Amino acid sequence: MSRLETLTRPTTGTDHRAATRHRPIGFALAALGLLAAVVTLIANVSAAGQVGDGNAAGAAETLAWSFGLTVTAFGTAKLAIAVVLVGILVRLWQRVEAVKSALPDLKAPVAVSIAGGPISTPFGPAVAGRDVPRPLRIHTMAKALWAPMLVMGYMAVLVGLVVSFVWASDPASVDAAAWTQGLQFLGEGFLLAGISFLLGTILASLREGGGEVQAALGLTVETLKMPTTAKVFIGLMALGVMVAMTQFVLYLVVAAGVSNPTAWFTWLGPLREFGLGVILAGIVMALVTIGNVLDFQFHRVREIVTTGN
Amino acid sequence: MTTTNKELTYDVSDQSLGYSLPQRMGRRLWAPMLAMALMAWPVGLILSWIRAAEIASATPDPDTIATLGQLVPAFMFIGFMAVFAAVSFAIARILGVFRAGGGDTQAAARRSVHTLRMPVTAKVFLGTMMMAMMTIAVAVVLHFVAAAGVGSWSETSLEQWTIVLEGVRRTGVVLYLFAITFGLGTIITVLRFQTQRIRKLPAEPARA
Repeated sequence: MSRLETLTRPTTGTDHRAATRHRPIGFALAALGLLAAVVTLIANVSAAGQVGDGNAAGAAETLAWSFGLTVTAFGTAKLAIAVVLVGILVRLWQRVEAVKSALPDLKAPVAVSIAGGPISTPFGPAVAGRDVPRPLRIHTMAKALWAPMLVMGYMAVLVGLVVSFVWASDPASVDAAAWTQGLQFLGEGFLLAGISFLLGTILASLREGGGEVQAALGLTVETLKMPTTAKVFIGLMALGVMVAMTQFVLYLVVAAGVSNPTAWFTWLGPLREFGLGVILAGIVMALVTIGNVLDFQFHRVREIVTTGN
Repeated sequence: MTTTNKELTYDVSDQSLGYSLPQRMGRRLWAPMLAMALMAWPVGLILSWIRAAEIASATPDPDTIATLGQLVPAFMFIGFMAVFAAVSFAIARILGVFRAGGGDTQAAARRSVHTLRMPVTAKVFLGTMMMAMMTIAVAVVLHFVAAAGVGSWSETSLEQWTIVLEGVRRTGVVLYLFAITFGLGTIITVLRFQTQRIRKLPAEPARA
């Protein structure tokens, strides 16, 4: 097992009753993100007051660092979500071990015959076989990339925060404005991609764990084929990450010098938000897929308990 | 009958309790919310292109620019409000699958069905999700009010509203992310409960 996998898959025999630290750490990070967002809300109200007092320069300075801190708040909250997802992975594997240990005593006592080939289930097409299914390429990618994406994403957000302070010192600077927005939203895109890869890792673990449980009992290993929702998830995630990278390049174009930066900023803002939105839409499809897979697995466990096969 | 084992309070019954009301809502509403988001964002994007073209034109109309300056974030954040709601409903759906599936499995094994009562984390999830949705909804409505006020409001008032609403929208987004963290944390609680329960099943006598 790689070092990364030891973070998400506990060694056999770990006490499942012991509390893990993922939840409290995740909740603490989420609270930190919320606190930072409240600070920026107060900053924005203050900037609005400065506008009313005719202090446009002061307002622009406040809004510059407030932007940087807000996006950092988003990033911190997303990191919190990632930490909790790692906790879910750990608990899922403990559940697999629990099912492996309990199911032999709950299974109906009938003779087992191993079927093979494609089958149809109430949850969509599946494959029946003898062995634990091998991970798909996308699963291997997800397991390898979730951590680097999260690290790169949060680093970009933090660097963007520092640049936002530079922007605040010279609010009229187009370069600083472009670099802050481009960098931070590239970071946000990578953070959401890291969360997407974690959800992919959860799906991979459900597939592998489900196969291990069935194989351990000497039963037909039934594995769902990749559902349409999963394919849509992958497509949306890829599209969203491409938009996030494109917006970063376009902000660099603005920083390099364009004739009307105000016009560019006007459409680049919604574009970068659209990129994040598309990744979030992909995350919805990933969560729906997880729900469907879990439903299939509960159905399969009931089938084993009641029919023995 | 309700029983507590240190942190996990659960109900005991003969049959699975199925999906709770929030979980049934989650099953039905994730798709419409996602559809709403996917419709709102293109509108916001197109309006931003029109606004950018107006700014870059030889004779920009300040009222058009100001009006679109309110409508663009309004539509983009209708999209974000909807997609975060879809994420939340999808999480509620997963929690429902655990509840119904766990109950059905225990019933199939002819054991008494232990169903976890709604943990505190789930209540925080639901409460902050609703707060987040209302926060963004209020900001969106006020953007439409400000858009209608272009021409009659002063430039300073409009700018002040825009700045404050920007902060309110962003707070709504972070509230959503906070809620989602608690929703996912609830999944950890449920998994812990189910792991403990399934290990105890073989030792329990089966019902007739």
